Amino acid sequence: MKFCAAALIALLPCLAAAVDQDRGKQIGSPSAPVRMELYSDFQCPHCRVFHEAVLPELLKDYIVPGKVLLISHEFPLPMHQHAREAADYATAAARIGKYQEVSSALFLSQDAWANNGKVWDAVASALTPAEQKKVQALVKESSVLSEVQSDLQGGTMAGVNETPTLIIFSGSKRYSFPGPTPGNYSLLRSLIDGLVR
Amino acid sequence: MDLSARPWPLVALVLRLLLGAVFVYAAWTKLRQPWELFALAIDSYQILPMRAVEFVARALPWLELLLGALLLSGFWRRISTSAVSLLLLFFFALMIRAYAKGMQISCGCFGLGEIISWKTLLRDGSLLACSLFVTWTAFRGSAGTRNNAGI
Repeated sequence: MKFCAAALIALLPCLAAAVDQDRGKQIGSPSAPVRMELYSDFQCPHCRVFHEAVLPELLKDYIVPGKVLLISHEFPLPMHQHAREAADYATAAARIGKYQEVSSALFLSQDAWANNGKVWDAVASALTPAEQKKVQALVKESSVLSEVQSDLQGGTMAGVNETPTLIIFSGSKRYSFPGPTPGNYSLLRSLIDGLVR
Repeated sequence: MDLSARPWPLVALVLRLLLGAVFVYAAWTKLRQPWELFALAIDSYQILPMRAVEFVARALPWLELLLGALLLSGFWRRISTSAVSLLLLFFFALMIRAYAKGMQISCGCFGLGEIISWKTLLRDGSLLACSLFVTWTAFRGSAGTRNNAGI
């Protein structure tokens, strides 16, 4: 019993850290009836379309009203040379609560850094000088790198084989499918409406 | 030609039952999930407007179930085998088109999550070949030759 209590106390900081890591990539209410996990690659053009055209709709229709909790996961594909570096920086930025800002900056200038490899320039554009220092330090931490690796392994185990992939959880139901485009967003709406009804 | 003296009737029976089981399974994988997921797979082929995508996503699994049941039961053999062959031919053509265009999309054959690859093409091509053979034997068998294998 004493051992269990001691182990629990020892684990508390780790649990708290895990919650913080998760929250950095979450948008929406944790008590939302639908949880949506997004596996995305910053260098993938379809992911950019999803981020720029579908995510704002999703935010407006379901996340802000508290119906959906969105959790982002990194899934840098091996064929994309700079995707892993971008995922590392974004994960480091999540630790200081700047994940969404850095994600937007990375997608906005995707063409540029995908070609010239200057990922940091895109990341830095979304941060203040003080935040840049923090992110530069965090990106070297093994916990950040292992979080990205853990996302990759989790996605692979969940059957993710393309990006963007959405996995929806609602009660005992679980559905995995490719991230919708602006053209078929109505299907995602219909699906979520059916789940939150 | 006496078909009963050859192995074809038995082979055709086995293949018809196999195709029937595959169609029933394919229908079940779609019907147990919300129709919107299959609609997303259909839409990724980029050939139909959204209204048609929604209609096909709702109707096709039931058609697959009906055809699978007909193949398994042996009723309306010529109609059911012809319909299955046409359907598989259509699916195969769509998959070839998507593969040739380099589209990294889910084939939608048995629910979602299976990207079109040479493996899915080989599998669907084999199913098509089986279906064409079963259709051929259904017509040939009922064109004048009595067969005892129930083809």
